Amino acid sequence: MEIKDITVSHDNTRNHLDGVSTMIQKGKVTTIIGPNGCGKSTLLSVMSRQRQPHIGRVSLENKDLVRYKPKEFAKKLAIVYQQNDIPKDLTIEKLVSFGRLPYQSMLKRRDEVDEQAIDWALTCTNLLDKRHVDLEALSGGERQRVWIAMALAQQSEILCLDEPTTYLDIYYQIELLNLVKTLNEEHQLTIVMVLHDMNQAIRYSDHLIVMKDGQIVAEGAPTTVMTKEVMKEVYGVDAVFREDEQLGFFMMPVGI
Amino acid sequence: MTKKILSFIIVGILLVIAIIYAATTGSIQMGFFEFLGALFEKGNSQMEAIRDLRFPRIIVALFAGAALSVSGVLLQSVMRNPLADAGVIGISSGAAFVQLFIIFFFPTLFFMTPILAFLGGALACALVFMLSWKSGLSPLKLILVGIAINAMFTGLTEAFISLGGSLNTSAASVIGSNLTMRTWQDVSMLVTYGTVGLVAAFAVYHWCNLLVLQDKTVKSLGFQVERARLIIAAIAVLLAAVSVVVAGVISFVGLLVPHIARRFVGYDHKVLIPFTALAGALLILVADTIGRTIMTPLEIPASTIMAIIGGPFLIFLLRKE
Repeated sequence: MEIKDITVSHDNTRNHLDGVSTMIQKGKVTTIIGPNGCGKSTLLSVMSRQRQPHIGRVSLENKDLVRYKPKEFAKKLAIVYQQNDIPKDLTIEKLVSFGRLPYQSMLKRRDEVDEQAIDWALTCTNLLDKRHVDLEALSGGERQRVWIAMALAQQSEILCLDEPTTYLDIYYQIELLNLVKTLNEEHQLTIVMVLHDMNQAIRYSDHLIVMKDGQIVAEGAPTTVMTKEVMKEVYGVDAVFREDEQLGFFMMPVGI
Repeated sequence: MTKKILSFIIVGILLVIAIIYAATTGSIQMGFFEFLGALFEKGNSQMEAIRDLRFPRIIVALFAGAALSVSGVLLQSVMRNPLADAGVIGISSGAAFVQLFIIFFFPTLFFMTPILAFLGGALACALVFMLSWKSGLSPLKLILVGIAINAMFTGLTEAFISLGGSLNTSAASVIGSNLTMRTWQDVSMLVTYGTVGLVAAFAVYHWCNLLVLQDKTVKSLGFQVERARLIIAAIAVLLAAVSVVVAGVISFVGLLVPHIARRFVGYDHKVLIPFTALAGALLILVADTIGRTIMTPLEIPASTIMAIIGGPFLIFLLRKE
C-alpha cells in the first residue's frame, strides 16, 4: 500500500495529518506509534478508507482506494477497532459470520467456503469450542479476539488493528500480540497496527512509523528508529536503550 | 430454540381464539359451533351482518397491529434505539396530517392517500433523524425531538379539524382512530400495502441484524450502511402510513410489542420480525375487541386503550434506560 502526501483535517483549523507519505510493505508487521493526538489513528483510518484525505492519495496494488467497491475493498483489508459495543443476544459464531459479508449478496448466502473461513478464523483465535457462547458472557480478552476473528473471516491480505491492547490486562495483551505474530508468520497476513507500549512495538514489529503532530518523524526497523534523540523529540522523555541477551532490544524511560 | 417455537405456537393459538371471539361477540351474539356452521352457509342474515361489519374490522385490526409493530422493530433497528415508535416520534401524526390535508383540499386524490401519507410520515421521520443525529441518536434525545414533531403535526391536524368542522364534518371522522365502520375497500387497501411492507421488512432482516454493530464496523465489512438505513426506514414509514390511513393513529404498539417479543424470541430479526407481526396483530385485535364489548353499546377506541397501557410502559422503559 502506498500513501502519498496525505493531508487530513477534522475541523479545518489544523491539519491532523500533514503531508504524510509512506509505504506499507506486504507480509510485514508495521506499527505506528506516537503520543496522543499525533495522528496515528487518523492515519490508520485513512488507510482503511474510513476517512477520505483532503489532499493526497492512497493506493493499494496500484489502484486508488476510492476506486474500490466497498465489498471489494473489504476483501483486501480488514480492521479491528479498539472499542466495540457488545450487541445483545449474539453468539460468537454469528458475529464472526458477519465477516463473510463481502462474499455474500442478496442471492448468495452462506455456503461451504464461508463455513471453512469461519472455522479457520475461530481456530486461529482459539475460540472454536466457544462458538455457541454469547458475546456478553466473555472476558475482555476473549471479546477482543472475537472481533479479530470477525476480521479474519474476511480473509483479507491486510489486517489493521487500532490500539488492540489498550483496554486489556497484561496477560491478554501478550496473548493478543502473539496471535498477531502467528497470523503474520504462519498465514502471511500484512499487519498494520497502532500501539501505545513502545517495548511491545519494538518486539513485535518489522517496521516502525513514529509520528508527532500529524507528521512522520522517523520510520524503519525498530532497532534503528528507536533512539535517545527520537524519544526526546517525540515524547519529551529521556530514555535508555539496551541490548540484552535474554530481553533483546528494549527501552527504559528514566526522566523528563 | 424450543422456547421460540413454543412462543409462536402460543401466540398462534391465542390469535385464533381472539379472532373467533371477536367474530362471535358483540351486538349479534353467536355460539362457536353456530358460527362455524354459518360460515359456509349462504343466506344467514346474522352471518351476512358479521361478514360485512365485523370481518373487515377484524382484518383491519390484525393488519394494523402487525404493520405498526413491525414498523417499530425496523425503526428501533435503524435508529439503534429501543424507544423508537412510529406513533410516539410523530411519523403517524405526520402521515395523518397529510391524509387530512388531501381529504380537505384534494378529495379527488383519495386513492393516492397511502402514498401521500407515506410522504408525510417520511418527512416526520427525516426531521426526527436530522434533529437528533448530532447527539448520536441518543434514546432520550430522539424521544424528545420525536414528541415535539408529534405535537406539531397533531396540532396542525387539530387546527384543521376545528377550522373545517363546519364545512366538512366527515374529515374528522375519517381521521379518528376508531376501527368502526371499516369497509372491504379499507381492507383491500391495508392488506395490499401492508403485505408489501411486511414482506419487504422480512426481506431486510439480515440488514437489521447487521445494524446492531457500530457504523464503522459494518462499513469496514463493505456494507453500505446509509443505503440500508434509508431503505429500512422507508419500509417502516410505509407500514406506519398505511395503517394510519386505514386505522388512524395508534401509538405505543410499535414500542410495546417488539419489546415483549424480544423477551420471548430474542434479537435475531429473522425470528423477531414474523413474531412481532403475529403478536402485534393479536394485541390490537384484543384491544379493539375489549374496547367494543366492555361497555356496549359504547365503544372505547383501540388507540385509547393502547395509550392507557402504552404510557406507563414508556415510563417503565425510560426508567430502565
